[in-house]
Amino acid sequence: MMLDLLHQVPTAFLFFLAAGVILLLPHGLMRNTVMLGLPIIAAFQVWTLGMGEFVTIPFFGFDLEFMRLDRLSRIFVLIFCLAAFLGNLFAWHLRDTTQQVAALAYAGSAIGAALSGDMISLFFYWEGTAIASVFLIWARGTEGSYWTGMRYLIIQITSGVILIAGVAMFYADTGSIAFEKMELGSLATWLIFLSFGMKCAFPLLHNWLQDSYPAATITGTVILSAFTTKLAVYALARGFAGTEILIYIGTVMALFPIFFAEIENDLRRVLAYSLNNQLGFMVVGVGIGTELALNGTASHAFAHILYKALLFMSVGAVMYRTGTSKASELGGLYRTMPKTAIFCLVGAASISAFPLFSGFITKSLTLSAVAHEHYTYIWLALVFASAGVLSHSGIKIPFFTFFAHDSGKRPAEAPLHMLLAMGITAFLCIFIGVFPNFLYSILPFDVDYDPYTMGHIAGQLQLLFFALLAFAIIYRRGLHPPELRAVNLDTDVIYRKFMPSVLSYIAFVIFSLFKGTSLLLKLSVIKLTSKLHHSHGPDSPRAASWPAGAMVISIAALLGLALFVIFFS
Amino acid sequence: MAKKIIETPNTYPVLGRWMNWVDRPGNDRRIFQILIVICIASFSLEWTYEKHAYFDIESYKGFYAYYGFVMFAGLIFVATILRKLIKVRENFYGKKSIDTEDYPEDQIQRINHDA
Repeated sequence: MMLDLLHQVPTAFLFFLAAGVILLLPHGLMRNTVMLGLPIIAAFQVWTLGMGEFVTIPFFGFDLEFMRLDRLSRIFVLIFCLAAFLGNLFAWHLRDTTQQVAALAYAGSAIGAALSGDMISLFFYWEGTAIASVFLIWARGTEGSYWTGMRYLIIQITSGVILIAGVAMFYADTGSIAFEKMELGSLATWLIFLSFGMKCAFPLLHNWLQDSYPAATITGTVILSAFTTKLAVYALARGFAGTEILIYIGTVMALFPIFFAEIENDLRRVLAYSLNNQLGFMVVGVGIGTELALNGTASHAFAHILYKALLFMSVGAVMYRTGTSKASELGGLYRTMPKTAIFCLVGAASISAFPLFSGFITKSLTLSAVAHEHYTYIWLALVFASAGVLSHSGIKIPFFTFFAHDSGKRPAEAPLHMLLAMGITAFLCIFIGVFPNFLYSILPFDVDYDPYTMGHIAGQLQLLFFALLAFAIIYRRGLHPPELRAVNLDTDVIYRKFMPSVLSYIAFVIFSLFKGTSLLLKLSVIKLTSKLHHSHGPDSPRAASWPAGAMVISIAALLGLALFVIFFS
Repeated sequence: MAKKIIETPNTYPVLGRWMNWVDRPGNDRRIFQILIVICIASFSLEWTYEKHAYFDIESYKGFYAYYGFVMFAGLIFVATILRKLIKVRENFYGKKSIDTEDYPEDQIQRINHDA
């Protein structure tokens, strides 16, 4: 009975309902129970519902599909629920209603979007994720976070506007709003593609990611890292699987961030670049579009959400105790935060794809799919990108935070709920790596793949250990780029600095011209009136010859003119 | 002036005390030697199985080892040059960015381990 009732409510609405309910509850145990319990109930609902389309609501003559559950959407919804649970557990200490409501509404919107069977409800949820998530940035409450949130919101909302424009044109072309596989070709599909690409942080559309994630609150970044971009990956997998251009876009995405991550000082921004690089692997998988590749993308998204959250949590825990996430200020923290250090190392090993960790069993699916289709250079580039992942996420994050030179900081270990959240996530990273069949069984397509062949293991171990060896040699020789307090320019300098300065220059020129001309006009008018006053005013010599009835004559002339106009019109 | 940092391992948590092994004198060299041994071991795996390479290049003995080493070194080299090109002062974006902001103290809980 209860289960039947539960099955009739779209999963997203459960989250929105909870976001309302927690407003009525006092801070503390009761509210946190709802925050943690809800993702479990939602996951249970999705798991017991089976496959199909469940809730259809008519809307201005359209049928909106709110619950399309198939194997592709299910894996994304399940990992979103898991991420919401872990993120909320990590944020147990929060006494901030805004962030709690935003976290639930954000997770609900992302889940709703993943379950949308049509593109109108997709649009609503798409904008929902943008609006809910910006509060996780603003909650930091500083001037910098306010402006960063504004930039983030503008880009996210623009993505939604482009989406609805594309959907409207798509409807005009085909008469359908169903969210199914599309072909790039018409302006409509290109707009939809562009909208997905903005949220997915395609190269040159990526800056919002590295700009905003380090600006969010400690717990906000953990939550942000899970949803928006993976929702975009899901949308691409649903709408544009097998679109060849994605292979090249994804490869560029996997490559360029590794250079930026290497020299970035803010560790949360390093992780944002790293996130961008990981998305590249998923986008390549979507571009290949075979069953093996899409399984690679889905499983990679699943594993990635966990280890990326784990890394953001460990850096967040350090920030919670030291107030900074700058590599130049940190180092040697393993002494007094050993558990956080170990969890961070598990996350690092997972993202670097060491055998027995989750990254290994998921990334090798994508790499094998690329190899199957014989894209030699793409494959070489992705193997290089894998070594790059080791450099920034595998080495830089744990090494410069917890080891390397001793910063002298001796912070206490992270609070219990943070350790618990990190511990569960770390356990899942290892569990998935050791027992890949658990994850493989919920992938979109049946899996006939064994990641633990001798060839895979030996190749991966060689790649990683020899890369580590290169690092060790470079570091010991003092050739590794030092951690400096500095900012590195990315292409966002164009819209954050150049365009505003060009615009303000143009504005200055136009304003000066306008002011100059109007001043000139004003001066000449004043001159003219004073001259007229001098020659025709009451004190002028001419005034002496004016008849006394001059006013009466001019009014008579005016009335005569009016009569004339009325007569002829 | 960098101030002298004093190690007080007996106040660290147990796990931290164990991990302090990595910072004992001479152990950085020992770790490096262990890494070399692991590298040699992983390289020697090449002779234990038959390769099913998708690409010609993959079938060279130790391809992944060379590729990993060379590309990683190249990555660091290129990144070092890139930094020279794009590095600017930390307050480049001024107040409209969080780069030079302190994280709000009321949202964190600074505690020293021996407090």
